[in-house]
Amino acid sequence: MKNLLYLLIPVFFISCSTNPQPIDYGKDSCDFCEMTIVDRSFSAQAVSKKGKQFKYDAIECMVNDLHDHSEGMAIQQVADFSNPGNMIAVEQALFIVNDSLKSPMGANLAAIRKESSIASPQNAHTYYWNDLITYLLEKDSLFGIE
Amino acid sequence: MKKLILFFFLFFFVSTVAAKEIIVCHECEISSIKQAVELAVSGDTIRIKKGLYKEYEIEIIGKSLTIIGEDYPVIDAEMKGTAFKIKADDFSIEGLHIKNIGTSHTSDNAAILVSRSKNFSIKNNRLSNIFFGILLERSENGIIEGNIIRSKARSQANSGNGIHVWHSKELIIEDNDVQGVRDGIYLEFANNCDIINNVCKENLRYGLHFMFSDHNRYLENLFENNGAGVAVMYSKFIEMERNLFRKNWGSASYGLLLKEINDATLKHNIFEDNTIAISADNTNRIDYLENDFISNGYAIRIRGACYKNVFRRNNFLANSFDVAYTGNINENEFSRNYWSDYTGYDLNKDGIGDVPFRPVKLFSYLVNTTPEAIILLRSMFIGLLDFSEKVSPVFTPAELVDPQPKMKKIKW
Repeated sequence: MKNLLYLLIPVFFISCSTNPQPIDYGKDSCDFCEMTIVDRSFSAQAVSKKGKQFKYDAIECMVNDLHDHSEGMAIQQVADFSNPGNMIAVEQALFIVNDSLKSPMGANLAAIRKESSIASPQNAHTYYWNDLITYLLEKDSLFGIE
Repeated sequence: MKKLILFFFLFFFVSTVAAKEIIVCHECEISSIKQAVELAVSGDTIRIKKGLYKEYEIEIIGKSLTIIGEDYPVIDAEMKGTAFKIKADDFSIEGLHIKNIGTSHTSDNAAILVSRSKNFSIKNNRLSNIFFGILLERSENGIIEGNIIRSKARSQANSGNGIHVWHSKELIIEDNDVQGVRDGIYLEFANNCDIINNVCKENLRYGLHFMFSDHNRYLENLFENNGAGVAVMYSKFIEMERNLFRKNWGSASYGLLLKEINDATLKHNIFEDNTIAISADNTNRIDYLENDFISNGYAIRIRGACYKNVFRRNNFLANSFDVAYTGNINENEFSRNYWSDYTGYDLNKDGIGDVPFRPVKLFSYLVNTTPEAIILLRSMFIGLLDFSEKVSPVFTPAELVDPQPKMKKIKW
């Protein structure tokens, strides 16, 4: 019985952590569209307040999956397009929509750091996180409408 | 009439005289492909002799050329960019070995990039150590045949697709062999394409991947040991026949992933040794006829919102779970399939079991809600549960039955 208790103690500690687990590219699959996550430039992830991990192959997948229950998320972060493999919090990200960005679910969407040198918010096709949600959900880009 | 004949005669005369052949080799007058392309005019043939050509960004704009490689000359792009960039009608590329296409996350470097072109053929080339292989955009009426594409996506976890088609139509993709890239063949906004007799193995993500692509057919292909065999997503009117899906094995692995697709048919396909042979989510009006499901973890896993799917005359042979179901039955129909798990009898000997078969086990319902329960698979307790559920279904959808299960394996 005591052994069992020792076994369970770490479980209590692990289960409530809201630290994002790094995405295992090529192995993890998207929680929204089920595609395997392979591209380090477009991925996104979220962790709920209870520690449940959500991983997405594209930012548009995260937006569509979480738009009705995003308030329960402790962490929401997206891949930094200018620095693939690194994640940035959505509040610190600037989102760019451009035809040359071939994001996995067809929204032509990527994120960079707000303060990064290539960020130019004057551009008509850049959005901050809150505007992005409105933009994507109005456009319904996930269903093949360009 | 005479004038017309004269015109044709002149046209023929001029065109035969004008078309010349340019030979490229190290000792020749013209020793680089770029130089040859610059000299050539529409209708010319460029013949490249065996050798190593360190060239990239070879641009062919508006010239209808025939490029032929003899004994597979090697074009080494030295990881610097795209090898061929083509924007032209009526061209062909044959018999080249293109290698070392550098990876990049901002530009889609490819061995052969075809943009806004019509009536072309890309045949019997070898592409190795590539980022993207053959990349087509806004093109139509092309043949991509007999190409061998190899890369190392598995070890690098960074790769493009073998044959990548974007906003194109009326293509024939036949007899290609694609291994070790991200998606073997990828179609996005591609319509009316035929994908026939290709081999897609060991690719990081999918063997074949459709996104927003309608009216396509894929026939007689082999998909083995990919992240997942084929993914058909957000597409309509797809015909899938006589394909073999094998050994797509792993926690997120499928033989065939169907997501938001309508009006498709699956006929005479074989699914063997896959973790999940078919995962269907939001699919409507899909006909599954005469397919074989052999030794899969799940043969068919149906997730939410699937309407009017018909499963008829399929063979379900030794799968851990034949059918797993989430949600309602939704007018999906199972009839006249052969189930190796069927234990009923046939007293009137008409070949159809007298007792309906319920393909959804209680245990698969449990595993759906609590995935960890899978460790209890094949325990006696689970056997008892499944049996009692079979006698009086409580949790599994009561309407989900095959009312006419076949007694013998169906031959097709």
